[in-house]
Amino acid sequence: MSCSPILLKDYLMKELAEPERRNLDVHLKGCPECREELDRLRLTEAALFSLREEEIPQRIAFVSDPVFEPAPWRRWWSALWASPARLGFVSAAMLSGAILFSAATRPAPIAVTTTPAPAPVQTMAAVQPPPAMSDAEIQRRIDSAVTKAVTASHEQEMVQVRELVSDLEQKRQQLKLAMAELDIYQRRAENVRLMSYDMPRPTPGGQQ
Amino acid sequence: MIFRAVEDGDLIRQAARGSVEAYNLLVSRWEKRVYNYLLRITGNREDALDLTQDVFLKAYQNLRKLDDHARFAPWLYRIAHNEAYSMFRKRRPESDVDEMEPEATQTGITVGGSSVFPIELSLAVASALERLSPDQREAVVLKIYQGFKFEEMAEILECPVSTVKSRLYTALDLLKTELAPVSARGVS
Repeated sequence: MSCSPILLKDYLMKELAEPERRNLDVHLKGCPECREELDRLRLTEAALFSLREEEIPQRIAFVSDPVFEPAPWRRWWSALWASPARLGFVSAAMLSGAILFSAATRPAPIAVTTTPAPAPVQTMAAVQPPPAMSDAEIQRRIDSAVTKAVTASHEQEMVQVRELVSDLEQKRQQLKLAMAELDIYQRRAENVRLMSYDMPRPTPGGQQ
Repeated sequence: MIFRAVEDGDLIRQAARGSVEAYNLLVSRWEKRVYNYLLRITGNREDALDLTQDVFLKAYQNLRKLDDHARFAPWLYRIAHNEAYSMFRKRRPESDVDEMEPEATQTGITVGGSSVFPIELSLAVASALERLSPDQREAVVLKIYQGFKFEEMAEILECPVSTVKSRLYTALDLLKTELAPVSARGVS
C-alpha cells in the first residue's frame, strides 16, 4: 500500500471501511512519514476542539397557537396519508375516477328520449352542441346493426327449423308406407291361414 | 450510552400529529447544536438565535413532509443551512454568497474561558477558521463540531460527497499549517 494523504484524512475522520482501515494500520506501522502526518492532523483536530460550544442564550419553546397549528383537514389528510390504509384509499380513488370517467364518456341511454319533454331531440341538441356524430346517431347505428344481426340469426335458425321439419315429414311418410306394407303382409298372412282351414286334409294311404 | 425514554422518532411522530409538547421536547434536544452550528457559520449570536427560532418554526410546519424519521438531523440542518444562506442573500444580494465572510468572530464565538485549552490556542483557532472560505468553514463545522458523516453533509449542503471531502480536506490542510506553531505548544 502506498502513502495517500486522502486515505490518512479518511482514517482520521473515521470514514474508512473496516478492511481499508486495517490495511492502513499495517501501512502506518512501517511508514514513519505517514505516522508524522497523521500526528499533525490529530493535533490540528485537537486544536479545533479548543473552541467551546456555547449555551443558547434563550431557550426556544412553542405554544399551542392555532396560527401555527395545521388546518384540521391537513391533519386528517396527513394522518390518512401516513396510515397503512393509503394504498386502499388510492385504489378506491382510482376506481371511482375510472367509473366516473366511464359514466361521463359513454353514450346517452335510449331512455333519455322517453322523458316527457315536448321535443326531446331538440332539447338534447340545445343542451349539447352537435358533435361530428351525435350520441343518438351512434345509438341508432348500434341498434340497426344489432337488429340486422338478430334478423340474420333468426332467418338462419328458421331455415334450419324448416329443414328439420321437412326431414321429419319425409321420415313420417316413409314410416306411413312401411306401416301400409306391413298391413298388406298381415292381411295376406291371414288369408293364407283361413284358406288352409277350408282345404280337405289328406288321409294316410288315401292315394287310390 | 445515554438511555432515552422516548426516541426522537416517537417525538417526531407525535409532533407531526400536532403535539406541541412533543415538539418542544424535540427542540430542547437539538436547539444547542443548531444554535452553535449557525453561530459558527454566521459569527453572530443574535443572528444565530433568530435563525435557530426560524429553523425550528419551519421544521414544525414541514414535519409531515419528513418521510424517514431517521434522517431528521440532516433534514433539520438542511433547513438551517438554507435559512442562513437566505439571510446572507437578503443582506448582500449583489455579492456572491460564497464570497461572504462572517462578522467579527470575537462577537460570536467564545474562546478560552473555562476551556481546558489555553486562550492563545482558542484565539488562534477562531482566527484560522475565520480565514477559511464559508464553504470550507461550514464543512469543518459539520464534520468536526457536529459529527456528521460525509453522506449526511452532502445531503445538508446539496452537493456531491466528493465536493464535501474536497472542501473539508483543503480546510484541514490550511488549518494544519495555520495552527502548527500554537497547537504544538497548546495541545499535548
